[in-house]
Amino acid sequence: MGEFFSNFATEFVETAAYIGIILPALLRGTLVMVQLFCWTLLLSLPLGLPIALGSNMKFWPVRIFCRFYVFVFRGTPLLLQLYFFYFFLPIAFGVRMEELTTAVVTFVLNYAAYFAEIYRGGINGIDRGQYEAAKALGISKTQTMLGIILPQTMRIILPPVSNEAIVLVKDTALASVITLGELMKASRGAVNRDVDATAYVVAAVIYLMFTFLLTVISNKLEKRYSLYNQREAG
Amino acid sequence: MAKKEAGMAIIRHEIKEHLQTGDIILEMKHITKKFSGVTAVDKVDFSMKKGEIVAIIGPSGSGKSTFLRSINGLEEITEGEINLYGTTGMVFQHFNLFPHMTCLGNITYAPIKVKGKKKDEIEKRAQELLELVGLSEKRDVYPIQISGGQQQRIAIARALAMDPDLMLFDEPTSALDPEITGTVLSVMQKLAEQDMSMIIVTHEMNFARNVADRVIFMDAGKMIEEGTPQEIFEHPKSERLRDFLNTITR
Repeated sequence: MGEFFSNFATEFVETAAYIGIILPALLRGTLVMVQLFCWTLLLSLPLGLPIALGSNMKFWPVRIFCRFYVFVFRGTPLLLQLYFFYFFLPIAFGVRMEELTTAVVTFVLNYAAYFAEIYRGGINGIDRGQYEAAKALGISKTQTMLGIILPQTMRIILPPVSNEAIVLVKDTALASVITLGELMKASRGAVNRDVDATAYVVAAVIYLMFTFLLTVISNKLEKRYSLYNQREAG
Repeated sequence: MAKKEAGMAIIRHEIKEHLQTGDIILEMKHITKKFSGVTAVDKVDFSMKKGEIVAIIGPSGSGKSTFLRSINGLEEITEGEINLYGTTGMVFQHFNLFPHMTCLGNITYAPIKVKGKKKDEIEKRAQELLELVGLSEKRDVYPIQISGGQQQRIAIARALAMDPDLMLFDEPTSALDPEITGTVLSVMQKLAEQDMSMIIVTHEMNFARNVADRVIFMDAGKMIEEGTPQEIFEHPKSERLRDFLNTITR
């Protein structure tokens, strides 16, 4: 019995020491992951809006272009897009780009397509009566979109958008295939070198911490934006 | 100068001085509206004077709402000409308040954004309108927090905040519980007493009888009969109107 506990204690201390050794590399990978995540959200969230509005336009060349864009980027694997841009961008621009830049470009283009579809669904979910009321009051089309429709869309799109953000945390792992030194690549490096799966467990915990954080943030936002939609108590 | 809207036969005449009671405020000629082959409004002629209160009655699907909605361009007419000597405000069956704005926000949004009104100036006016519809205490609550009847009264205040010359009511009480229609109708009655020009599409026969100067009976896209409330309700001439009045009073 005593032997079991002393073995366990030794194991524990050894594992803790090992984690201490691999942690700096994993944290560096985490930093790259966070950079990719933030840049992607920061750029793809706004980029999705013109694509969504374009997909709804009566002017057909714009509508077809936007729908085709979504069709292509939503209809092909992100992994394939990463490989493609990794090889295509240097040819197109004549310079080898940083892996992070390549990953950000690919992720932004891909996620903008998803966000565009979420926005479009949100916009189309607004009652026709809202447009009619705005028109009857003489409010311009642009002002109707900005002041009446989009603010109401926020509440509808928030759950699917935060869902996509959580998916994005995990998708950043794909960027390891174009040798971006993010968390996945860092943990795989440690595992392959030491023939020890501990790094994967640590990486999993780090991913979980981020998805948990995002869940908390999205719940807070949802509460805030649903404020006008809840009856007063009593 | 008259301004013709693109793609629509609405001619908005700019008014140099205020219209006098009795001046023509709206003149519509040969209004026809077809929805993919089905004729909803069929060559209707209509005109009304400032200060007049017109009630339009008729069975559902008779084209009365479509006709009303063509006046402010919510329905694009297929044929015809609309001469409008003033601005319109509209009240909808389902209120269509902006749910993300407070009652005050609903009332002040268009005056600020469309007319460029100063915030404190329009808020003072909004306060008067809230008093007119009897909802001063609901100023800062959201539409979802008040009853349907209250929402409709806020919607009336919202339309009035743009100082329309003609108010269009599209079945304003049809979505309300019978016991609260009275609160909305009494606000409309107040407007009538203030000489507001109004066109009311309604199923409230008593209201039409008591408030309207003129009642129009529409059926199958045509104006079948029109006259004073007494003529329409006491001495209907056409068989279709008699049938209609029988079905609703039975």
